[in-house]
Amino acid sequence: MPDVRVLVVDDEPDIRATVSAMLEIEGYAVAEAMNGAEALAAVEADPPDLILLDMRMPVLDGWGFAAELRRRGHRIPIVVMTAARDAARWAAEIAATAFIAKPFGYDELIRTVEESRPLA
Amino acid sequence: MTALELISLITQVLFIGLFAVVLRHAARNPGRASFDSVLLFGSIAAVVAIGRVANLIGLEGDPAITILSLIVLSIAPFAMLRLVDDFNGTPRWVQLAGGLAFAGVAALTIVGFPRMAVVVELATIGFFVAVGGYAAVAFADASRRTRGITRRRMTAVAVGAALFIGAVVAVVVGALFPSVAPGLGLVAQIIALVAVLAFFLGFAPPAWMRRAWREPDLRGFLERSVHLAGVADERAAMLDLQSAAAAAFGASGASIGLAEPERRTLRYASAEGGWVEYPDHQFIAGRAFTEGRRLVSLDARRDDPAEAARYEAANALTVIAAPIATEDRRIGVLSVYASRAPIFVEDDLWLLELLADQAAVLIEARTLTAHAGQLRAREDAALLKEEFLSAAAHDLRTPLTVVLGQAELLERRLQREPTANVDRTSVGRIVREARRLRDLVGELLDAQRLEQGRVVMDLEPADLCQILESVRDRHSAAGTSVRVTRPDRPLVGAVDRPRLEQVLENLVENAMKYGSHGGVPEIEIDADDGAAQITVVDHGVGIPEADRARIFERFFRASNVESVTDTGLGLGLYICRRIVNAHGGRIWHEPTPGGGSTFHISLPLQDAGAPADEAATAEPGWSSSVGSEAAADA
Repeated sequence: MPDVRVLVVDDEPDIRATVSAMLEIEGYAVAEAMNGAEALAAVEADPPDLILLDMRMPVLDGWGFAAELRRRGHRIPIVVMTAARDAARWAAEIAATAFIAKPFGYDELIRTVEESRPLA
Repeated sequence: MTALELISLITQVLFIGLFAVVLRHAARNPGRASFDSVLLFGSIAAVVAIGRVANLIGLEGDPAITILSLIVLSIAPFAMLRLVDDFNGTPRWVQLAGGLAFAGVAALTIVGFPRMAVVVELATIGFFVAVGGYAAVAFADASRRTRGITRRRMTAVAVGAALFIGAVVAVVVGALFPSVAPGLGLVAQIIALVAVLAFFLGFAPPAWMRRAWREPDLRGFLERSVHLAGVADERAAMLDLQSAAAAAFGASGASIGLAEPERRTLRYASAEGGWVEYPDHQFIAGRAFTEGRRLVSLDARRDDPAEAARYEAANALTVIAAPIATEDRRIGVLSVYASRAPIFVEDDLWLLELLADQAAVLIEARTLTAHAGQLRAREDAALLKEEFLSAAAHDLRTPLTVVLGQAELLERRLQREPTANVDRTSVGRIVREARRLRDLVGELLDAQRLEQGRVVMDLEPADLCQILESVRDRHSAAGTSVRVTRPDRPLVGAVDRPRLEQVLENLVENAMKYGSHGGVPEIEIDADDGAAQITVVDHGVGIPEADRARIFERFFRASNVESVTDTGLGLGLYICRRIVNAHGGRIWHEPTPGGGSTFHISLPLQDAGAPADEAATAEPGWSSSVGSEAAADA
């Protein structure tokens, strides 16, 4: 299958590394960004097929990133990835495709990503 | 009947009526003041009766009748003098001189009349003017030093006394100089009529007039007391209510005892601070409380001899007390006291019960407000706990995600290639995040321990400079640097060393976390004004102005550091504040000029002497529980 490209956006380096490692094992091509602003730059440089998005981040948070992404006309599906109780509500607020609540395990992450990625 | 006779008749009827009123009152409330008012109006009524009887039996103008009338009438100024003493107090020699003068005038009248009628009449005038005048002036003086209705009644008595003396003098002068008699007689009768009316207002004011007189005082009481339901400090509220009650009464002081049913005591707000408690049957107030009825004591020292010294000290000679109660509950007791007997007591009881009822409403309102506050606080605490759990869960989830994910990755790799080398990066991440979990759990436990009040364990003398340096040394061993600036000499304070190190560690970590990238946190210590001043400075993001006031609160995290990296539970600074406060110190934050945060800690130093002890508690005494007596009677 052609590589599905996933952008992992989280301010926690260990979370990024963990999520990336899992996705790479499953054959995804992964890019990382540590906040919304970096993520926007990454999207402009090389638009991914799916974005895994933490919500609370410095510089530009998940809400700001999602709004700007939509404003620029990108239709890339987003999976919200948060430790907050409000994961479902926040996902709805930014019209995300799905959400995944921390702490999540390998299988849960992969299943959610598979379900959310656009069919090639 | 001429106008003169009509006025004379009305005056005489009024005097006799007044006599009847004070007699009835005296029968109900025996006491020296009652007796003296009976003496005053009894003498006048007796003169009236003697005149009428003499007229009936045709003895008018008989010298014996005149002698009797003059002597009986001379009792009046003497009785006034005694009343002055009852209400206001007079030097002993004044009473003695008044008595001697009365005896002298009486003897002179018996011996000298009618042979030396002019001498007798002049002596009588002199006696009336001197003694009666003194009494009238003394009443006026007393009225100026009282308040409210008492003041008005005292003024009326002073006016009555002066006019009565004037009328008597006019009559006697008329007898001395018959040429001016007709005109003077009318004037004397009119003055006498006004005098008796004034006496009526003073000694037996009609109910409508009493109410009108009371109205401004009651209004004042209500206005002063209405806000007290919301006053947080119960002691201040009670002191205020007491002084409002005393003012409404025109009394020198008032006290409110609040019932403590479990201990069977009444507790009184002390003017010096705190409360004083007495068994609930002690004092006249206590008796009114336990017996559940109003009590009047015109002589507290006599009625409650066991506490005589205390009444004396508080200048509380007359005490009236009424229980404060609702339908189903006895709340306490209100007592009002004065250094002198009030003129009429029924009035005061009516007012006292009114005030006691109002006090009951107020105290109930305060109790309900306090209950509502406690409920709110409990709800807040529950909400806080929920927020706390939610925040704690959130903060534990992030490291847990890493630990779980990395462990699963390792597991998978081992399943695929059982002989593969250990993924050191992955293990490092697990260890790092597991440590973070441990720290978070530690923080939670710290917070819980603080909530239970165990903040600081053992305070032992230690050099604060050296503590700072040990924090620095630990960091340099771990590969991070901290700059310490200290004076050459040691600064010794009584501290719980591990706890204080925790505070400094926390501040240093914050400075590293939120400081400028690569910046070195700076700790400075110096002594100033008997206290060690420690500052921890960074040049980083700083704290938004809107957040500064709240950073030492539990679970508070400044809006701009929400997720920079590994934020804690928002308990760090809260814990710091609790620890510093437990050392008798203070911690606060100021922005660093040019950006960043500066945290200041001020800790007491040992050689500066121990912190001031709590002010020695004043010896509880009754005088302290009864408010503003001294000011009113000094």
